[in-house]
Amino acid sequence: MDQKKSLSRRKFLGDAAAIGAIGALGVGAVVSSCSRRPTYVAPVFPDQAPDGRVLRAGVIGCGGRGTGAAINFLNSGPNLEIGALGDVFQHRLDRCRNELKEKQGVEVPDNRCFTGFDAYKRVIDTDVDVVLLCEPPYFRPTSFELAVQNRKHIFAEKPVGVDPVGIRQVMAAGRMAESAGLNVATGTQRRHQRDYVRTFEMVKNGAIGDLISANCYWNQSQLWFVRRQEGWTDMEAMLRDWVNWCWLSGDHIVEQHVHNIDVVNWFFEKRPVKALGFGGRHRRATGDQYDFFSVDFTFDDERHMHSMCRQINGCTNNVSEIIFGTKGYTNAQNRIWDYDGNLIWEYQYPLGDDGQPRGSVDVSPYDQTHINLVTAIRTGDYINETQNVSEACMNALMGRVSAYTGREVTWDEMMNSSMKLGPETLEMGPVDIPAEPPVPGTA
Amino acid sequence: MSKRKFFRNGRRYIILVPVILTTLFLYLGDRIVRYTSTNEFCYACHFHPHAEESWRRSDHYDNRTGIYVQCAECHLPPPGNLNYLLAKAKHGAVDVYGWIFKDPESINWEAKRTVENAVKYTYDESCVRCHQNLFPMQLTPDGQQAHLYYQQHEDDLSCLNCHLYTGHYSELVQEGIQFGVDEEVDREIYTDPAIVEDFVNFTERIPGSAVSFDMVAIPGGTFSMGSPSDEPMRDDNEGPVREVEVSSFFMGRAQVSWDEFLAFYNATAAEGRQDNVYATNLGEVDAISGPTPPWGLPDQGWGMGSRPAITMTWHAADTYCRWLSAMTGRTYRLPTEAEWEYAARGGTEGPYFFEGDPRRFTRDRLWTRIFGPDTTVINSYVIYRENSMARTQPPGTVWPNPFGLEHMLGNVYEFTSDWYAPDAYSLYPEGTVVNPRGPESGSERVIRGGSFNSDAADVRVAARSHTRHAAWQMTDPQIPKSEWWYTDTREVGFRVVMEWDPDWQ
Repeated sequence: MDQKKSLSRRKFLGDAAAIGAIGALGVGAVVSSCSRRPTYVAPVFPDQAPDGRVLRAGVIGCGGRGTGAAINFLNSGPNLEIGALGDVFQHRLDRCRNELKEKQGVEVPDNRCFTGFDAYKRVIDTDVDVVLLCEPPYFRPTSFELAVQNRKHIFAEKPVGVDPVGIRQVMAAGRMAESAGLNVATGTQRRHQRDYVRTFEMVKNGAIGDLISANCYWNQSQLWFVRRQEGWTDMEAMLRDWVNWCWLSGDHIVEQHVHNIDVVNWFFEKRPVKALGFGGRHRRATGDQYDFFSVDFTFDDERHMHSMCRQINGCTNNVSEIIFGTKGYTNAQNRIWDYDGNLIWEYQYPLGDDGQPRGSVDVSPYDQTHINLVTAIRTGDYINETQNVSEACMNALMGRVSAYTGREVTWDEMMNSSMKLGPETLEMGPVDIPAEPPVPGTA
Repeated sequence: MSKRKFFRNGRRYIILVPVILTTLFLYLGDRIVRYTSTNEFCYACHFHPHAEESWRRSDHYDNRTGIYVQCAECHLPPPGNLNYLLAKAKHGAVDVYGWIFKDPESINWEAKRTVENAVKYTYDESCVRCHQNLFPMQLTPDGQQAHLYYQQHEDDLSCLNCHLYTGHYSELVQEGIQFGVDEEVDREIYTDPAIVEDFVNFTERIPGSAVSFDMVAIPGGTFSMGSPSDEPMRDDNEGPVREVEVSSFFMGRAQVSWDEFLAFYNATAAEGRQDNVYATNLGEVDAISGPTPPWGLPDQGWGMGSRPAITMTWHAADTYCRWLSAMTGRTYRLPTEAEWEYAARGGTEGPYFFEGDPRRFTRDRLWTRIFGPDTTVINSYVIYRENSMARTQPPGTVWPNPFGLEHMLGNVYEFTSDWYAPDAYSLYPEGTVVNPRGPESGSERVIRGGSFNSDAADVRVAARSHTRHAAWQMTDPQIPKSEWWYTDTREVGFRVVMEWDPDWQ
């Protein structure tokens, strides 16, 4: 509906401009009086990807998210298949394979299942058209780059790296993907969530005036962890417990909170250039990470975003964003208020069977991401989200480094940093990374 | 022919003639624009030696694709708009002027190939008209990072910063040249430093190398530092003039040469790159870690030997002094700004340590721009823009100053130990200032003396300048950027002083 309206409006403006060009000053005046601010129209996401020739996806990283992404991909339209699976561990691969068989009736043959540290190469070597990169973030830059070089379309989970070297590698590979016409969708799925997208449209069109500042949160209970068992090498113990090791996950500000930082970047249409934060560790059971961060981010025009994230049980939880403008504020997802406390706009969710709004969007944003990716591949309506997700990751990284060191960290420092995490070689054996969290003020 | 018929025909001509003329004009105009942009037309006037040959050896001629990139494709903006015609007119006028009035032998073609000059007649828009994809699949990881950096700093960078020799081949482009390989084979290797017993000139020897250099005894004294407000071509940061007393010291007769600096480099150079060099250098002298390998050719291909070492950072120069102190058991350091000016003046009080008026020497005034600057005196004392042929010169090419110091003015800017502040002189307490050391903190260091690239006004003895750290490493493609070498200045080097304690003996 909205789109139709705007098309006719655009056509009107086009015609009017043409007339104006001929010299009808009167018309020009009319046009300028009614087009002070060009209206932004959010994209309308399809419920299903269109049909087309068979697209096969290879899953790299067959944990919970890899299995989930495979199902999201299969759900997104007709003629979609899983062409290969890869994981370091046999047991993770088997579980994923069984789940796909039981839930989706999809069978992946033995000769298309790969394990070990080079599984990602062997998946990319097959004839798959798309790769779903769902391994621990440390591995993402390497597999992302190889996938681009082998001309695969990409779904890449967030974050896309754990250190500046890796994230820059992804930035460059994303540009190469663009020049090769390869579509890239990423796991920052709020950008594919219909209520967020509609709220962005409202804000972009001035519903809360000019943006002033933002806060964002990912405060939740303790995350999962895996205690080391006898017989495991350092490497195996770390990989099984990867969300607790900075070199594998990037720490939870990067691994998880990047979602919220990305939303603020999206609404502000820019990224912060400075971060000063702190954090610490009180309750975490394993690994070398912090369990809370609080970071003050600054944009180049001195506007601020405050970010906080925590993974501790028994505390007040909150996963959200709030964005303040000159005329009002929004939760970025579905509501806009003015400063007198009035709700001035609300996203209209589809109605359920009981005739009441359901409170959730029609299509899950996880499915929607894959629908949009497959649609882009099949229609040629190109998408590439690499830069957005890379910038948000780099911002989260700024926050982490600032909290770890106690010092202010700038965007330029990160873009010029040689920091690279992880062991020299990847093999099941000892890893010389102690389970000690960083101490600020000592770097 | 009836009158009426004539008019009918005449009216036809009134319409036809302008149409034909306009068509002809447009057609000929287009032909002329095209013809005057062909290589053959360029060659007709462009007699500069090797332009064609270096082009034929370059990637723009000799490449796998079989495409020749023609003169006008790089040296003019993309055709099709007014800018193209304006640029064509501008370059054409300059070329015609040069062709008529200039002797090609007198033109320094090498200088025209530097980045600063090349950007004036090579257009980034034209580069990217063909090179549209900055991230082709074949791009190396280093190239990817460099282009990522370029995209973040497009306003500050030109394609030529990294691709200077793409259109015209140069020997300098060869990568992997071993920097600082010791060529001294049969020369005596010193085992001990010089013996210094009196306050007289001596020749220092660097133990473990075949390198020696002359030190000049500079007797302490009092002088007026800065320039009076009536000095021509002065800058406000040179005042107010202060009475300054400096103690006796020794100073290098010449700027630190490549021979000297390479002795340091070869003895201390860190194999790979390492973080936290500042931290490691705070420790014992044994632990002094020297420069990492430079990016590109720090000597610019001009040769090393006794030519002044250039493009090192202040940190590298400072580390050199501490290394030299450790090797000789004496205290070598960078001069303070006051010591530098005292030494450069050599007892004189004018704009230069020789006779002359900056207004007659400079090229930056309308009169001298038209009729040419006076070079008669300054020429024999200073290597500067008018006589340098756009590069540094070894010692012995001009006369020394009254203290016997060479190249105090010109050749290369010299680091001092002072932080830079434009109002530094007014910050000192009243009365005679004894051994001032500049502001306590700052972000850039004072550099002095001007360089081979400076105008005569900037090689005045009171003229002050300062480092530009960020700008001077703008195109360093390494991550992080080198702490030891600058990529974007060729004009900076240094000179050492050695402390002298009269009670020392």
